[in-house]
Amino acid sequence: MKLLRVKLLLLFVVLLVPSLSLAARIEISAPGEQTIPLALTRLLPMGVGGSQPAIAREFLQVLEGDLELSGLFDLVDPASFMGDADKLGLRRTEIDFYQWRMLGAEALIKGGYRRDGDRLTIELRLYDVITQRLLSGRRYAGKAKAVRKIAHTFADQILKSLTGEKGPFATKIAYISKRSGNKELYMMDVDGHQPVRLTNHRSIVLNPDFSPNRKELIFTSYRNDNPDLFRKEVYTGRESRVSLKPGLNIGGRYSPDGREIALTLSKDKNSEIYLIGTDGTIHRRLTNHYGIDVDPSWSPRGDKIAFVSDRRGNPNVFIVDVRSRDVTRLTYEGKYNATPAWSPKGDRIAFSRLDEGVFNIFTIRPDGTDERQVTFGDGSKEHPRWSPDGRFLVYSLDRRGSGKSIWVMRADGTGARQISPLGENDSHPAWSDRW
Amino acid sequence: MNPSRKQRWQQLQSVFEPGFKQMLLVSLLLHLLVPILYYSPLFPKKAIKKPPVYRVNLVNKIVKNPQAGRPEATVAKKKPKVKKKPKVKPKPIPVKPKAKPKVKPKPKPKPKPKPKVVKPKVKPKSKPVVKPEPTKPKVSKAQENTLAKRLKELREKKQRESAEQARKEKLAALKAAAVAESEKVDSPISDAPVGMVDGKGDEAGVRATAFVQEFIQQQWSFSKYQAVGTPEAEVKLFYNAEGTLLHYRFVKKSGHEIFDESLARAIAKSKQLSQPLPEAMEFDIFFNLKDMLDKP
Repeated sequence: MKLLRVKLLLLFVVLLVPSLSLAARIEISAPGEQTIPLALTRLLPMGVGGSQPAIAREFLQVLEGDLELSGLFDLVDPASFMGDADKLGLRRTEIDFYQWRMLGAEALIKGGYRRDGDRLTIELRLYDVITQRLLSGRRYAGKAKAVRKIAHTFADQILKSLTGEKGPFATKIAYISKRSGNKELYMMDVDGHQPVRLTNHRSIVLNPDFSPNRKELIFTSYRNDNPDLFRKEVYTGRESRVSLKPGLNIGGRYSPDGREIALTLSKDKNSEIYLIGTDGTIHRRLTNHYGIDVDPSWSPRGDKIAFVSDRRGNPNVFIVDVRSRDVTRLTYEGKYNATPAWSPKGDRIAFSRLDEGVFNIFTIRPDGTDERQVTFGDGSKEHPRWSPDGRFLVYSLDRRGSGKSIWVMRADGTGARQISPLGENDSHPAWSDRW
Repeated sequence: MNPSRKQRWQQLQSVFEPGFKQMLLVSLLLHLLVPILYYSPLFPKKAIKKPPVYRVNLVNKIVKNPQAGRPEATVAKKKPKVKKKPKVKPKPIPVKPKAKPKVKPKPKPKPKPKPKVVKPKVKPKSKPVVKPEPTKPKVSKAQENTLAKRLKELREKKQRESAEQARKEKLAALKAAAVAESEKVDSPISDAPVGMVDGKGDEAGVRATAFVQEFIQQQWSFSKYQAVGTPEAEVKLFYNAEGTLLHYRFVKKSGHEIFDESLARAIAKSKQLSQPLPEAMEFDIFFNLKDMLDKP
């Protein structure tokens, strides 16, 4: 009996094994389509208030610009849109997904707007065309002039829905501009619109940096003849001097928690990296070398700082451990490496390098491996700074004859676009955190 | 020079002297003969054969036993059955024209001289003048016969040559056509031979696994800007013989929601394959981004 059971078991196993192996194994190691086909429809008027084509046009233009910069999408040609694009229906049951699927779209943005005096309401939906699932639905209300901000905010929301992380389009970029004749601090949207002048020092203003948790900036100004570190609250306009030590008070960078500032002081006749409190009191001296140490940049965890030093001859990027003050060298190539910027994700450090008379932007892992040049071509690209999500880099481009301007690109160097006009000598950009 | 050395030199001279110069001449001639022979038509130079171009049309008929995906694959199908055919095939082309001239020369020589003499419209006038003068009165019958023979031979030779030339041209045209055909990378030609690069079977088409792999990959959209880390997922799909997805399940999720959602979307788009399968099948698909993220 026992033997029979064993035999039956064996027979079962023998029969089972081939049936198990019937499944064909396949490996798919890359998607066939490396962008998401997205249909972005025009906003349609909702209810009373009538048609305001200018609003719809501006909204579409801003949103399209943001989505193109993201590099995530392949926008379906609006000329191929069918009847559903002209129907306001925003509910799942009101949308003819079959039409969109026929056009190859995988994601669909539909929306409507209502203007009531100066009050504007925009309702938006992001759908997954394949699963017919609502990925994101938002209703924004504000003043009529807020249409750009609404578009940027929804672009951030789209990126959140499709990548799990918000976009940086509704943030701000601070920069130094000479458009008034002096180098003053300005601030603008990520697409370069709505520039606002923040200082009127009639002197030289340099190196702005945003506070990670308040709507304020620090920068260096020669207003009092000495390069002092200033702080400015964006909305109240209040301004104060944070550090006014004799000599240089330059390159101030907020720590990730916003409690300290790393900067270069030369009060002891040599440029060294210090940590100071937001009230200007010196907390620690981080470097102690006869070489020049400048341009500090915090790691996102706040335990390390990348900086530039000429202690080994040419200026190179070094990393100092905030606790132990151990210094390690990061870059070895090039005659001049400057302005390091640690990515908010911590995985890469961007810096500019002088090569054949031109600065270009490079990125490198904090362990010194995988160095990549991300900009090429004419003109010096300097002062790279990361977007708060680490997807993009902003930098200044100096082309002989046409002056400096601010540019934005994806972190891999693709999709570069100019966001500030030529001829105004814009430089030293800094990207705000979530605004 | 030492006397011993002198002696040795004289000995050497005595050895070489008798035919040394002739030998040198013969050697030189032989050396010259080598390049002459090499460049003579006795040694035709063959063009270096390029490796075969594999054309794989993956979106095509699904078979169990795919043939190699080469343009010649359609011919290869016939080869195993009648191996001699391809050998015989090229022969009839040169043979036929050879056979024809044997028959044709008779009627042809007559019309041929005509065009030579008659076609230039001026000649009819000269005919009566030319004919009596050079040939008939002066040449004897024997001479005429030998001349006619010679003419016949010449014509035959010329015909053979022209036939050979035509054959060569035809071959060249065929070769050029084959090359042009093989250079076509996109192969949505309906009658294009299809198969697998490593295919050894006798059926025109691709393996079901390769087809399903290609089909689902084409339906999968995912941007490198969406990627976080190195996600990997395993999905089991069950298709019936009509190519309809019966059901699927994630054996292992990647833990990256956006990645898993993109896979669910790709599978939803692959609900119905564009062609039926040879039988109901089960696929174990491993999705990852190895080939996308490796690129800088």
